[in-house]
Amino acid sequence: MGWTIGVDVGGTFTDFYAFEADSGAVRVHKTPSTPDNPARAVIDGVNAMAARHGIDLGQVARLSHGTTVATNALIQGKGGRLALVTTAGFRDLLEIGRQIRPHMFDLQKDHPPPLVPRQRRLEAAERVTADGAVRTALGQDEIDRLVAAVRASGAEGCAICFLFSFLNPAHERLLRDALTAALPDLHVTISSDVQPEFREYERLSTTVLNAYLQPVMATYLHDFESALGAAAPRAALGINQSAGGLMSPERARELPVRTALSGPAAGAVGAIHIAGRAGARDVITLDMGGTSADVCLIRDGAADMTYERWIEGYPTRLASIDINAVGAGGGSIAWFDRDGLLKVGPVSAGAAPGPACYGAGGGEPTVTDANLVLGRLSPKGLLGGGMPMDLAAARRAFEPLAERLAMPVERTAHGVIGIVVANMVRALRAISVERGHDPRDFALLAFGGAGPLHAADVARALGIARFIVPPAPGILCAQGLVVSDLRESFVLSRLTRVGAAGIDAIRGMLTELGDRAETWFAGQAAAEDARERQVRLDMRYVGQNYELAVEMDAAAALAADADDLRRRFFAVHDRSYGFHNPDDPVEIVNVRLTAVVRLRHADPPVTAGEPGASPAPFERRDVRFAADTATATPVFDRAVLTPGHRVDGPAIVDQLDTTTLLFPGDRLAVDAAGNLIVEIGE
Amino acid sequence: MSAKPAAAIDPITLEILFNGLRSITDETYIAITKAAYSTNIKERRDHSTCLMDPQGRLIVQAENSLPVHLASMLGLMHKLLEKFPADEIHEGDIFVANDPYAGGGTHLPDVNLAMPVFVDGRLLGFMCNLAHHADIGGMSPGSMAGGMTEIYQEGLRIPVVKLFSRGELVRDVFDLLLLNVRVPEERRGDYYAQVAACKLGVRRLLELAERYDAGTLAAGFAAIMDRTEARIRAAIGGIPDGSYSFRDVLDNDGMGAEDIAIAVRVDVAGDRISFDFDGSGAQVRGNVNVTLNATQSAVYYVLKGMLDPEIPNNDGLIRAVDITAPPDSIVNAGFPAAVAGRANTAQRIIDVLIGALAQALPEQAVGAANGANVTAVFFGADPRTGRDYVYLETLGGGFGGRAHKDGKDGVQVHITNTSNLPVEAIEMEYPLLVESYGLIEDSGGPGRHRGGMGLRRVVRPVGHETVFNGMGERFRHRPWGIFGGGDGATGRFLLRGPAGDEALADKPAGIVIGPDTAVVVETPGAGGYGPPADRDSAALAEDRASGKFSDAYLRRHYGDAADD
Repeated sequence: MGWTIGVDVGGTFTDFYAFEADSGAVRVHKTPSTPDNPARAVIDGVNAMAARHGIDLGQVARLSHGTTVATNALIQGKGGRLALVTTAGFRDLLEIGRQIRPHMFDLQKDHPPPLVPRQRRLEAAERVTADGAVRTALGQDEIDRLVAAVRASGAEGCAICFLFSFLNPAHERLLRDALTAALPDLHVTISSDVQPEFREYERLSTTVLNAYLQPVMATYLHDFESALGAAAPRAALGINQSAGGLMSPERARELPVRTALSGPAAGAVGAIHIAGRAGARDVITLDMGGTSADVCLIRDGAADMTYERWIEGYPTRLASIDINAVGAGGGSIAWFDRDGLLKVGPVSAGAAPGPACYGAGGGEPTVTDANLVLGRLSPKGLLGGGMPMDLAAARRAFEPLAERLAMPVERTAHGVIGIVVANMVRALRAISVERGHDPRDFALLAFGGAGPLHAADVARALGIARFIVPPAPGILCAQGLVVSDLRESFVLSRLTRVGAAGIDAIRGMLTELGDRAETWFAGQAAAEDARERQVRLDMRYVGQNYELAVEMDAAAALAADADDLRRRFFAVHDRSYGFHNPDDPVEIVNVRLTAVVRLRHADPPVTAGEPGASPAPFERRDVRFAADTATATPVFDRAVLTPGHRVDGPAIVDQLDTTTLLFPGDRLAVDAAGNLIVEIGE
Repeated sequence: MSAKPAAAIDPITLEILFNGLRSITDETYIAITKAAYSTNIKERRDHSTCLMDPQGRLIVQAENSLPVHLASMLGLMHKLLEKFPADEIHEGDIFVANDPYAGGGTHLPDVNLAMPVFVDGRLLGFMCNLAHHADIGGMSPGSMAGGMTEIYQEGLRIPVVKLFSRGELVRDVFDLLLLNVRVPEERRGDYYAQVAACKLGVRRLLELAERYDAGTLAAGFAAIMDRTEARIRAAIGGIPDGSYSFRDVLDNDGMGAEDIAIAVRVDVAGDRISFDFDGSGAQVRGNVNVTLNATQSAVYYVLKGMLDPEIPNNDGLIRAVDITAPPDSIVNAGFPAAVAGRANTAQRIIDVLIGALAQALPEQAVGAANGANVTAVFFGADPRTGRDYVYLETLGGGFGGRAHKDGKDGVQVHITNTSNLPVEAIEMEYPLLVESYGLIEDSGGPGRHRGGMGLRRVVRPVGHETVFNGMGERFRHRPWGIFGGGDGATGRFLLRGPAGDEALADKPAGIVIGPDTAVVVETPGAGGYGPPADRDSAALAEDRASGKFSDAYLRRHYGDAADD
């Protein structure tokens, strides 16, 4: 069936993971990113990997791509020149937002300026009311006037967002059709297409962001597809989404905003895959890199989703994997706040100059320096990395801190690890405890360059019994792209009381969404047994203004009666808030259906190995688990650890892209898929 | 385990402990947002949570807590400890209060809860929270309108009483609370959310006490407060020594008192700072009086905003500051003064404080912001269901011009930061039509950096008659500019009927309108910073191109420079 290639573009490196299903062959590759034109690194990298590993690019069936083009365009302000059309009386909403300041006490901080300046924000004489009825019709004269105004504005894109368009999109569609007919080169986004949901400001913001990104994404994909077409003519291109799962390049051109948070999402998909192979259904991921740590909760083999995210200071309401990022990475710098408390991050020494121990000009004490001081990292650097680390420089960086604390350097370094771990624990609590999940019911899946090094500390702090380190923790995002499925979501936003009277309306919506999904499935030429349909109902008590997600299989949703739905809502309410009121009326705000086409992913073979055998360490080094005592600790090469091997802590496992730390009492076993499974000791 | 001295806790352990405590207050804050019933809490986030020590001293406040709520929670603890001796405070008790005089509150709609936390029989502290209930009874729906002259008219007064006793709901008390408010089923949901947040906080604190013994926790609490005190004192030490005074007036109380003075003298000497409000007017009949604890909140807000926005809110900040105010004055009201509209006055107190400190800290000062907490309340019976509704909203306005940039347009300022309600939420929930919501042309004061613009919202009842109550400020006295910046525009309430516009009072109550009439709410803009002559030409071009300012306005304030 040929090769599938996952390409993840990161800030520093572009990673490749190639898999051939028939032979089970896996090839990985890394090349420096080219931020000025990210496609270059991708195409060059694909060619270089093919040449190095003898891959016939004519046999590449699919290339799955995680792109940061949208995110970068936002950061650099390089999106399109936009016009916006709103309902008359509401053009300033984009600027007012929720009328709040981003910081309660800071007199200088504002939300970022709107992406459409006021002079290009137009108002349409039209109005739909809360029941979907037309109060003021959008007339032809008004349409003509607006088309002329958009033309005169010189905009390359136009966003349209009218009140209650999620109930009645007719006006938005009328204007869109008139604009595209008159101005065929104009990119047009209407809010009832992007996210037809209640709450106009968030819908407006999402719509404007999408319109802003359309020209950039169109240019990028055009270049990318022609280059890829020349290099790998048979490869179907899939673009990764923030919700995990792939979409077609055509869809990505229509909805570029769906890619804005797709980078970490690929990691979560990769993590689900790894966890499945390790036999774990419930895991919390810890992806710790140089500047930040991303954490995500995976329950019953699926990542938690969120529909509210801020992207570079702009709110959006789009499905994305619920990933919480915290400024805790290997490069995070330790510093004293004004009250004398020691803090770590969010400022990072990054890749350049990097931690003091890199000897590349950095002098600030970082988390990586602390690990080196404690012997948790090797002064020889990562295995095969060939980059030794300067222990003396790391100690020097910590001396001013140690002096101020009147503590030895080692104790100071140990404290810095304690603080960075506490910061990550807080991020993990936010996605577990604050969502009603007990982290002790989960395994921790650690990846990224620094995740496995801190996993034992984090697991202990949360009472987690077990952590997992995948075979290639540094390249999990690219691997996640290879195992991603096709995904599309549909939503109807209709306030509906859950009761005998409302149940028919609910079933009607489910049927309507199901029909849309079938049309999409057919367009993907998906086999029947590859189709999956998941329903999510956003429910609340009548009068509440905040919904809870109640998820179920589409068939179960169609079969459910009002009492079933209420019971499911109560269970979620209990889990989230610890109580429910059985007598109060319940309503549904949104009905969502997610359609997934499962792509065929054969897995690399697993080997049983020799149970219970222990490999020999290649060296011993002094490691400080506690602040004040060093323990002679055996160090193992990950390359010689094979399925069935066991190692008892204290121990260190070094490999090309990470270091795994086992405390005294921790016990490691290598599973059949090559994962390290570490049981935390008492 | 006995309590160690605070100094025994090193900065690393303390940081990790502090991190854990912040997690707890933030988690309880989120729990209220999610579990509450009323829009005012869920969407507008008009609530706060905190942890107090056994002496009622603030240790940690949730990150998104509102400054004015701090005062109520401190006041509640003060009254609670005054009324209940240690042997009458038990595990599982939850105390409730709202009264400014008997319960330490700042106005009646803010309902405070406090739940003690015991570790091994020893009192470790109190988990507290506050939520602004959309109605607390009284003569006026929403309990916030003008026209009230004593606290009894403003709503149900709750002294500190037990809502839960040893884990059991005191049903008699709860029944009494709910009978006295409008839309009781919604209030009940809000109370449940607050109770759940108390219990959650206690559970989390007990988990923390398993990792740190009670002695370490107590020492940690003390160390957190001590370090914050040292931090704020160092910042105060950076203010040039001297005496700085400022004075402004409140428009009126809606009951006949006009131009109510608010005056302050700030004395700075080394790391000591004191605020004396002598010269402020006597308390008034209208409900714009402020209790002393709310005045204190305003002072802490200004110190943080001008000196150190990231400093933690706790007793260390509070004890570093001396505040005095004449008794029975507008800034230190005594029983039975009416206080529902205290947020407007608190905003003016902040303007006055910034005006005084501007002389010492010009870079950190800002022009007068909209100086109000313009409130609009609509009350009626929904013709679709026959059920009563109360829709309350407070609107932002201009933020003052700053040393290095313009003031923000259309935003909540200073003492409040509550969100607006989505138009689609209003119209689905209430029989009202929002006809427009936008910025008001020419409302921002001119300056090198101009003041922000006010907001206009137009609301019309659909298919029924609604009752409108409003509370406006800076409707007469314009928000002033600073260092040569010009004044912003005032706000106003209008009725827009078939016969045209009709002006309403600044604090109108009981205005009945039908579907042929709309209420127009206009909030004040804000003052500019620095002389208009210094305004950058590109900024001026943008003022014109954006349509935010008319040609006539630009010519009037910027002269020839405005003509491109």
